[in-house]
Amino acid sequence: MSQAPDELIDEVSRLFTCLPEKFVVDFANGIDVLRERQRHMSTRTGMFDRLYDGFSGKTSRDQAEINASLTDGVEGALEWLGELTQSTARSKRAIYQVQLRVNGLTRDLATVATYSADTRYALEQLSQQLGDRCSALEAKVAQIDSTQRAQLHLDSVMARWGAGRFAGLSLTGRCYAVLEELRWGAFGDHCLAISGTGRQQLLEDLANRAIIQLSLEAGVGQGERIATRSRWLARPSQDRQWSIGEDTLAYLGDWSCPDRSPITYAISQTPDELPLQVPLLGSARRMTEGLVSELFLEASV
Amino acid sequence: MSAPMKVGLVLSGGGAKGAYQVGVLKALRELGTRIDAVSGASIGALNGGILASAPSLDVAIERLELLWGRLSVNSPLNLKMPGYVSLLAAAGLRMNGASAVLAAAHGAKRLAQRFDVELPEWLDGWEDGLLDDKPLQQLMDEFLVSKDLARGLPLYVSLYESLGGVEDIARAVYAELGFADTPHSQFFHVQSIADEAEQKRILLASAALPLLFKTRRHAGRSWSDGGQGGWQTMQGNTPVTPLLEAGCNLLIVTHLSDGSVWSRQRFPDATVLEIRPTKSLARATGFMSGARDLLGFDSEKIPSWIEQGYYDTLHSVGRVMKAQSARNELRASEEALTSLDRESARADQGLADAMSRLK
Repeated sequence: MSQAPDELIDEVSRLFTCLPEKFVVDFANGIDVLRERQRHMSTRTGMFDRLYDGFSGKTSRDQAEINASLTDGVEGALEWLGELTQSTARSKRAIYQVQLRVNGLTRDLATVATYSADTRYALEQLSQQLGDRCSALEAKVAQIDSTQRAQLHLDSVMARWGAGRFAGLSLTGRCYAVLEELRWGAFGDHCLAISGTGRQQLLEDLANRAIIQLSLEAGVGQGERIATRSRWLARPSQDRQWSIGEDTLAYLGDWSCPDRSPITYAISQTPDELPLQVPLLGSARRMTEGLVSELFLEASV
Repeated sequence: MSAPMKVGLVLSGGGAKGAYQVGVLKALRELGTRIDAVSGASIGALNGGILASAPSLDVAIERLELLWGRLSVNSPLNLKMPGYVSLLAAAGLRMNGASAVLAAAHGAKRLAQRFDVELPEWLDGWEDGLLDDKPLQQLMDEFLVSKDLARGLPLYVSLYESLGGVEDIARAVYAELGFADTPHSQFFHVQSIADEAEQKRILLASAALPLLFKTRRHAGRSWSDGGQGGWQTMQGNTPVTPLLEAGCNLLIVTHLSDGSVWSRQRFPDATVLEIRPTKSLARATGFMSGARDLLGFDSEKIPSWIEQGYYDTLHSVGRVMKAQSARNELRASEEALTSLDRESARADQGLADAMSRLK
């Protein structure tokens, strides 16, 4: 015996474990029955066979069976077709439902996408605002820090002045040295960073504190005028002279000129003749404000 | 679909063409079919007896192959007397013209009795059978294990109450010619018969072709080939009724004749899967070809019938199951779709909730 079709056996053996439906069996098996009957009838074509079958009634019985089988087949087909149609209708309804859901999903997706775009825009705006705010805060913090450091620098230098660290210089030399140190340190940086009334107030505060200290060291009132050459520019006594300090002042003030910064020039370069703009008699306020103006206002232009 | 499947196998009668049923069983085994009950007529009863008495389908097929292999080498038909023409005429119940000859012989015998005329002795021998059934009995003793029959598959056989060989044939001839149908065969549940010898006698009776084999007595009556009952509808030759009464909800009916007149239309409530030959079962050609096939226990025909039974079964069952498979898949897909609908509804609700929070 030749090998059976394995695929058929595999497929059918998996199926032949539950009861098949009657109309399916009648429908599918009826085809084999019909075909076999028709094949047999087609062999009965000889005259004797035809006469015998007609006489015995076989022909009519066979035909009746074929008709009945055909009717069964048509009924089975109708039932199957009905179920298939219902199934197709259910499938169509399912597809309709799926389409509805897809449409709903599309609408929801559009809503989510719009929401997402709006959210992104809002986040960008927020990010921008936060960035600006942070920058402003950062600038503010930097300014506060700079102010703080400027104040600390000012306090430190003024304390050193008050402690007599610059006593080896002339009275105005001391003031000039203090102002130069402030100008090249955190205080000077802060002065450059700010402007307007803040700067004005800072320099005013500096001037006030310098006037007080200078008056105190000169032993005169703030508005009391004394001789410029003999008092403000006078070198201290021999035992207190600080030649390195004087050289440093000369170096620091080498940018000065008699016309644009006469007081600075007179103090740092110690010329034989005082520039014309330098008064012969001057008060602590006049000297201090002149120096502050030359160092922090004019020199910075 | 939800009812438990109870499969009944109907093995029709058809003489040597019973080899076809071996192929049917082999195919059913490969398809994994469970058989819950079996009924048979004539050679189908003998095959059914071996099937029912075997512990498994594999063993049954093994025994049947051995049996039919033996039959193909040594025919079970031993003539008790010469008369080959008579044998062919008797065996060719369905052969055109043969039955007329038998009817004429029967009529002649009755006339001779009425007018007290002596006829040749060999005509009397017809009443007890022309063939010796001892070889058949020996084969049954060898392949049918009686003690296992009691716990085997329920087996039903059809028997036809005999009025004598010639009378039986005459009734069959009348039915064949459409004058009047033969009485219905009766069905016996073999396992309900306590005596093992009686069981075998019943099986032999079911296969006792009139004139060829002697009739058997059971319950005080003589019985012969069950295939003769309900001739015009093959009620006896295709014993469906006892399996339906036994609760089988799927019947696999094997036919051993081309263009069998048995009709499923008479069993409108039963689910019947017929295995009919996809090509002619006839092997012999020419004069009395039907009779020669009926008694064609030879090494050429038997293997070819086995093979045909195998492929016809695969074809018939395969066609039904492919159709059923398509319906099952359709149904499964619809169920999957339905279950998905419920899940989709939950998903939709979840989305709707989320969207409502978004708005």
